[in-house]
Amino acid sequence: MSDPRLHLLLALADDELIMGHQHGHWTGVAPHIEEDLAFSSISQDEIGHSVVWYGIAAELSGKDPDTLALGRPPDGYLNAILVERPPRDWGYTLARHYLYDTAEDVRLATLAESSWTAVAGATGAIRREERYHLLHARLWLDRLAKGPVEARSRLVDGLLAALSEAPGLFEALPGEDELVAEGVLPVTHEQQRRRWLEMITADLSGLGLDHVLDGESHHTGGEFVPTSSGELLTDERGDAANGTTGGGLGGRHGRHSEDFAQVWEEMTGTYRAHPGASW
Amino acid sequence: MTLRTAVGPDDVRAVLESVPDPEMPPVSIVELGMVVDVRVDADAVQVDLVPTYSGCPAIAVIREDVEKALHAMDDVASVEVRFVSSVVWEPERITGPGREKLKSFGIAPPGSGQVLVQIGARPRAVVCPLCGSTDTVADSPFGPTPCRSSSYCNACRNPFEVIKP
Repeated sequence: MSDPRLHLLLALADDELIMGHQHGHWTGVAPHIEEDLAFSSISQDEIGHSVVWYGIAAELSGKDPDTLALGRPPDGYLNAILVERPPRDWGYTLARHYLYDTAEDVRLATLAESSWTAVAGATGAIRREERYHLLHARLWLDRLAKGPVEARSRLVDGLLAALSEAPGLFEALPGEDELVAEGVLPVTHEQQRRRWLEMITADLSGLGLDHVLDGESHHTGGEFVPTSSGELLTDERGDAANGTTGGGLGGRHGRHSEDFAQVWEEMTGTYRAHPGASW
Repeated sequence: MTLRTAVGPDDVRAVLESVPDPEMPPVSIVELGMVVDVRVDADAVQVDLVPTYSGCPAIAVIREDVEKALHAMDDVASVEVRFVSSVVWEPERITGPGREKLKSFGIAPPGSGQVLVQIGARPRAVVCPLCGSTDTVADSPFGPTPCRSSSYCNACRNPFEVIKP
């Protein structure tokens, strides 16, 4: 993949496709029917947005959008590792939803200023639709943070696990310097990460949760997770399960966690079983 | 020289008036404000549409329906339907007649009081499209299609849908 612009589009599209795919797992089994509806809708939106990005990538590369979306080998996918993780529990799902959608908000605000008019233009409708995702994510952040002890501690666990891999959303792309120089990417991913950090710090501070930003070391802190037993819940799915991908990095280079194999099998299975089928 | 009148953009628009939205059949794609531009060059027609929501699964059906309807016109040899992202669809694009038809379908059209509010704020009541009451509550910002949310009317005790603001 030599064209940095194609790399940018596929990173965007793959994040959306796979985030949508994972959110879709709540369809039919969410804790209650309105969340079933919410996650189904959000999932549909994210997959719809991936279609927009794959469409531009198709024009750029001359490849068919479906082939781009479903016809690549696992190491051809450029999504961040964070989005390929299974939904785990409700706490992790909502923590990741919140972190992903705030990151997306920063990313789309950045791309709205892109010198590439097709990309800047596409952000208009997407940002309009994403407002609902942010409202939903913040509603649940607030609700769980102020909820009973178990809700708050599960949210904290979810935030710690998701935060440890969230930097992968802002991993520098190969050829990023070129994209920035051309104004295709108005600011670097590192600068976007800082904007995002400011945004989530404000939200989390307001809920007395900003200590989670200090990461794993705070797991032994003791005062901020008011569990009934007085103990901190240890995140056993932590670093070991994350494999070799410190900070959730690697995705933008096609390097994925062990969880991706299953996602890829499931997501592309029908496409691979019936090559060239039309629906 | 030809004696026949060539197809014009207005003829095309008139045909598009008959193409329904697959998920809200009483309303045409013109009434929903999806038609951005119509260009006619001799017997070649080009139509630019904007989807109500980019994730709308009805896009492929609408494309097919438009192609079928325009191919059925006399003097049209080729049809190209494009979905453009240069225009952002907003509920305000829905025409007056379109809004009335939505109501008859049990969907609160734009202008019924729906607003996007921050969490914690109490939204203004949306007018029930079925009985006109404002004694309604928002159930969910999401609904059966990406462009609709869900509400309930305490007066006539019906659930109804709302075009998202």
